[in-house]
Amino acid sequence: MSGSVVKEIAPKRRRMLDMVMVLGGLKEESAVSLGKVNEEIATLKKELSPLLEAIKEFPSKYFDSFLVSAEKMELLENVDDVGLLTNSISQFEEAVSHSDSKSLETILQLLQKRLDSLQKKDESDTSKSEFDISVHLQKIPPLIEDIESMVSNLEDLAKSEAVDAEEDLKELVTSLSDIISTIDKSPDEALAELQKIGTKTRYGPFLRTVAQLKRGKREERINDSRFRFLLKHNVLTELYRGLILFVLSNMGSKTVIELGSLMEIPTKDIQHAIVSMIQRGEVEMVGLDHHAPVFSRVLGSVPETTLVLKRILQQLRAMEKSLEGDDKSLVATSLNQLEAIYDRLQILGVYDVTSLSSQMTELREIIDSCVESAISKQSDSDSKELKLLISAGLEAFARFRLKITLEKGPNLVSGLNVYGEKLDPERYKTIMDNYLDSELERGTLLLIIRELGASTAEDLAQKTGIPQDRVFRHLLRMKKDELLISAGEKHGYLLYDVPRTPTEAEVALQTVSTIASQLFSSINELEELVSSLEPKDIGHLANLLESISKSRDKLAKVEFRETIIASEILANVEDPIKSAVSMTYRTRARIPSTRPKVTLDDLVDVDVPQVLEEYTSMMGYAPLLGFGTIHWDSSKCLGCKSCEIACPEHAIELKPHLQMSKFFDISDSDLEALPSTRSLFYKTVRNLATARSDTDITLDEESPGFGTVEVDLWLCVACRTCVRRCPGPDTGALELELKWNLPEVVKQISSQKV
Amino acid sequence: MTECKTSVILCTCGKQLGLDYDFLVRQIDELDSTSVVVLHDLVCQPEGLDKITELVAEGPVVVAACTSQKIKPRIDQFLSSKKKNSSLVHYVNIREHSAWVHDDQKEASEKTLAMIRGMIRRACLSEPLVVEKKDIPNHVTVIGGGIAGIEAALSLENLGYSVTLIELTDELGGHVAHLPVVAPTGKSGKEILSSRLKSLKESKNIEVLYNSHVRFVEGELGNFTIHYLSESQKEKTIRTSAVVLAMGFTEFKPIGMDEYRYGTNPDVVTQYELSQMISSGNLERPSDGKPVKDVIMVQCVGSRSEDYKRDCSKLCCTFAIDNSLEILHHNPEAQIRVIYMDIRVPFENEMIYKESREKGVDYIRGRVSMVWEKNGETYVRFYDSLLDQHFEVSPDLVVLSSAILPPDGLAELGETLGYYLEEDGHVKELYGKLRRNETRRRGVVAVGAITRPQFVSESITEAQAGALMIHNELQQGAIEKLSRGAVLSIDDCVGCSLCAQQCPRGVPLMIEQTEAEAEDEAKKILFKAAIDTLNCHACGVCQSLCPSGATQLNFLNNEQLWSEIEAVLENVGPDDPQTLCFYCEECSVSTIDIVGTRKLKYPANTRMISVPCAGRVSIIDILKAFENGASTVMIAACETDRCHVGGTGNEIAQVQVDVAREILNAIGWNGERVDMFRMFSAEPERFTNAINEMVRRAKEFGPTPVHKGTAGKWMEVSK
Repeated sequence: MSGSVVKEIAPKRRRMLDMVMVLGGLKEESAVSLGKVNEEIATLKKELSPLLEAIKEFPSKYFDSFLVSAEKMELLENVDDVGLLTNSISQFEEAVSHSDSKSLETILQLLQKRLDSLQKKDESDTSKSEFDISVHLQKIPPLIEDIESMVSNLEDLAKSEAVDAEEDLKELVTSLSDIISTIDKSPDEALAELQKIGTKTRYGPFLRTVAQLKRGKREERINDSRFRFLLKHNVLTELYRGLILFVLSNMGSKTVIELGSLMEIPTKDIQHAIVSMIQRGEVEMVGLDHHAPVFSRVLGSVPETTLVLKRILQQLRAMEKSLEGDDKSLVATSLNQLEAIYDRLQILGVYDVTSLSSQMTELREIIDSCVESAISKQSDSDSKELKLLISAGLEAFARFRLKITLEKGPNLVSGLNVYGEKLDPERYKTIMDNYLDSELERGTLLLIIRELGASTAEDLAQKTGIPQDRVFRHLLRMKKDELLISAGEKHGYLLYDVPRTPTEAEVALQTVSTIASQLFSSINELEELVSSLEPKDIGHLANLLESISKSRDKLAKVEFRETIIASEILANVEDPIKSAVSMTYRTRARIPSTRPKVTLDDLVDVDVPQVLEEYTSMMGYAPLLGFGTIHWDSSKCLGCKSCEIACPEHAIELKPHLQMSKFFDISDSDLEALPSTRSLFYKTVRNLATARSDTDITLDEESPGFGTVEVDLWLCVACRTCVRRCPGPDTGALELELKWNLPEVVKQISSQKV
Repeated sequence: MTECKTSVILCTCGKQLGLDYDFLVRQIDELDSTSVVVLHDLVCQPEGLDKITELVAEGPVVVAACTSQKIKPRIDQFLSSKKKNSSLVHYVNIREHSAWVHDDQKEASEKTLAMIRGMIRRACLSEPLVVEKKDIPNHVTVIGGGIAGIEAALSLENLGYSVTLIELTDELGGHVAHLPVVAPTGKSGKEILSSRLKSLKESKNIEVLYNSHVRFVEGELGNFTIHYLSESQKEKTIRTSAVVLAMGFTEFKPIGMDEYRYGTNPDVVTQYELSQMISSGNLERPSDGKPVKDVIMVQCVGSRSEDYKRDCSKLCCTFAIDNSLEILHHNPEAQIRVIYMDIRVPFENEMIYKESREKGVDYIRGRVSMVWEKNGETYVRFYDSLLDQHFEVSPDLVVLSSAILPPDGLAELGETLGYYLEEDGHVKELYGKLRRNETRRRGVVAVGAITRPQFVSESITEAQAGALMIHNELQQGAIEKLSRGAVLSIDDCVGCSLCAQQCPRGVPLMIEQTEAEAEDEAKKILFKAAIDTLNCHACGVCQSLCPSGATQLNFLNNEQLWSEIEAVLENVGPDDPQTLCFYCEECSVSTIDIVGTRKLKYPANTRMISVPCAGRVSIIDILKAFENGASTVMIAACETDRCHVGGTGNEIAQVQVDVAREILNAIGWNGERVDMFRMFSAEPERFTNAINEMVRRAKEFGPTPVHKGTAGKWMEVSK
């Protein structure tokens, strides 16, 4: 019983009560049977102690094991992403500061070593001119074969999926031709049937067209012959479009002729339908099949491996020029093969990226290193900047835009363009200078991003010295060309990255390093907390254990080469952690959450008037005069809102609500006491009424002069201002019944305490 | 019943009104309160006016003729020339509100009789309003010495006032003094000012205070005290009778808009700064004094922007063109590019826009994305939306046409001067269409750019208008204490503050009764209202809300309206369902009069009662109408947001109607029997549609509980 009384004190009063207590110089201490609380805490401590040992040990154990596995499986050697490495290092550094685990330090050293070796690679590469391109190039053909077979597999998979879809399509096509024959006879039924097919294709424009047509018919804006015409043309064409999209998304890319035969519709109609779909951005041309364009659904995003392949192609094209002899022919052949694969991938559209990613990454790495060596061979200078510039140029040259411009430009100057105009050589020169400048800048940016990981325009501007807005424009351009993708944001700036496929090792390292520092600091805190556990810390303890438990769950998912790292250690600690969490929660539930900060005994002893006076002299007003109830007498209320305006605590309000029954309950003497017009109002209403009304009226808006006064006793501080301000007859419409003043509250609570 | 006798003068409007005058004269004559009935063919002509003069000497007169909007000013003027009190003349519009709108002569005559009967009762209870004259200082203070302030001061002087012109700086003329040319006059700002400054210098009655700053103002019309900081930084006061606000505007300084580099790069200036450069003959690059050959002007800097000024600043386009032409005038080779969102040149200013195009000013639709400096040159990048291209140029001067904002300190001054501000910070005028330049406070007018960005010509016109408004109020030093208005009976006031909360003009003040409080045993906090009738616009909102009848209009108190309702609805029963229409004497009366002059028809079983503002109609008035047998009741009021008394009269009426509907529904009536309609004179159908609807409802709902005798029988029912 005593507990419930304490809980029901309003938050505001609670605060005020606390203020008074603080001023009264009372100690803060747990009140509700302190002994019992301490007992609970002691039990918890006892129960936790055997578990804690295991929990405290597990992080160091985990990282010992991680170190072993990592060394054994060459995990770090598989991490090439400099940005990711730098990040991991800073996180492990933090972890080391929380712990004296030897393994952590070793991991950190290894990471640093790996980073150094990656960064040195550039320099060592230049000195190491022995790098034999031919050897590396030899690795390409077998890889391409691999990729080719993978792509064939993917195509087979797509085909088998297409067979299922073909069944569905046949069904749709048959019912469609049935319906078409009935359009003239019974257009309404035909429309209903078409709609059924349409819902299967889920093609938005079709559904909208049907809805519009139906509405037009219903509202008689469309006559019968027009209705038939629209049905046969617009609705049907939209339905064809829906079917085309159905085919393209379930059966892969198709030519118009293929679509026609599949859908059993004249190719002329397909052609007609598909033009608008291109404009609507639903369909795009992805290749040629014997001079017939192949169409595909426009994809929300292009698979990353396709993007990577696109880049590889560009690099190979650039490299081809700098090679001679066998190397050159090998690259040329590979280029042809890869171009064919690229076309096939484009036609495939969406596919399972993982099946290709490892080969594609390997291919990319080989070609990257070849490109680098090609660059270093050509350059005598050690100057890093110059190298960067050259590689940027190469990068830029690898792309069509520049190539075409460089090839076509001279023609424009010497000959005429299609409009019969001649290009001024001077002007050509400025155009080309500008153009080369920006292409070079773009190349530089790409290189930097590839090296340093995802970057913002600001980072890049700092690194390159190119004005930030210019960098931004380049980034947008390259994003449009699918050379970059957006990779989240940093401080509100967008991060841009080249399409990457992080390796398993990289994912593993990323996860582990983010968890490391957090885990160790939690463990330290846990140790400290438990050693001197107090009731007030129970919530903190629960949160801490919870977070450790979550970290463990994440670690349990870190995989490399199909084995979970340190799986045994993690499995062993799972039960201890989970039970520790639930025990803590259980104890927390047993300790009441709204514990007053003073004991009732203390309260009884407080000299309340003195405390209040002290407070008033300090703050200028008395925060709490007691707890009471405000009674509102509607028969005396003028609805003037003065109480609401006067209330210092916004506790009283005139609500736009009329209690009609009260209109009829006002006694004659009360009526006489009211101000004249007010009393006349009630009399007139009563004179007109045919029946006593017991319904209440809720008005839409505040209505001056009308309403019901409501007091929020949770906020009321019983200051009596409203009562004093009320202009109602006699003593006013409001009355404060001071139920408890503070000393009495204390008595009240203490009497119930027993 | 009452001792009072009222004379009635009936006008036949040149014998052309289709009313049964024999019947009317006979019936009116039989009424207890009628002393004499006079039938006249043309009351508005000298003979008729003489007759009224004669009758007024005997007591209240009811003039039943055409619309009071037309005839009242004429009668008022005539009577005042004869030194008679016109407050005892009451008007019933039997022409536009009856004869012209009803086909059936008998019905129209019945309606006319009822309305005259009602007005006789109102007239009987009326007290003659005594016009009190009050001598006040023949002095006006103009705050702000720009073109508007100077013009207002000169106009006021011409009207016979002595004027104090308070100027913040050490020179007169404000912004205009530095305009090299003012479109479309072709004259420079100095030329426009010169003759005015000359007259100012010559005038004996205008005192100019330079370097002075108004701090606050106390008092009311006829007795304001201006507190200002004088040139010597001493606080001084002026007693004055009225105040003209002419503080003009401030040009927005776009320091916060980093993209323009204003305040950092000296070659980036605002349009007004360019005007100053040109008019002082210093058109050169501020950074190094080199000549200005290439200029970029940027329009809408801060204007039409959610962050600074939401709407168009109106003047900047014209100013930019003025300055462009002036630059070209000095240097025809100069290249000027104006980067704009929309060019908005009102009035004849379109001509100079055309001229500027012909002279080669380049207009580029787009926005500037950034301004930067390199090697001591200024660079601008802008986007041309028509070409969809970005350009980078290196001009000598970047000119920002920045927004026109209200002057600083306007809100602070408003706290003591009592005017309201618009959302954008400019002074709020009482009513955009008909009460321009008037503020919420009587005796305070706002002229020139302080109400909205204004061209020079507009400011001058406003200044002259403002001067006339003040003249209208002050009457060269002998103001009439407003005879019409709310009068407070202090003993009846209970201090509920409803009037103070809701008065559209903020006239009633609540004054704490500290002495009474000290004696009060219950330690009540006691207030009484105080109403300054001088500021009152006689809408009656306070009366409608007052629970004790303490505040009442002196020309239409509760007793008057209630007895008018009773008399208008005399003998009304279920066989002849009547609609009672309260109409306001602002938009509604105009609408109903136009219905009359256009002779649109509506049913004759309607009764009209005029009130100064819809806000005067209280819920009791509505219920009283039903008590007296009305089948339906309507209130005709001004459109939403167009209350002519300065705000909320019509909304208070809406509350009364809404509550009345709910209560009627609750007590066994049909709430639809009362409704409110908004109207204005441009759409007379609004009134005919409204009244037709209410007549239809009267028929459809049939007899009211009052007709059936069930009203007030709730006690029996519940038992």
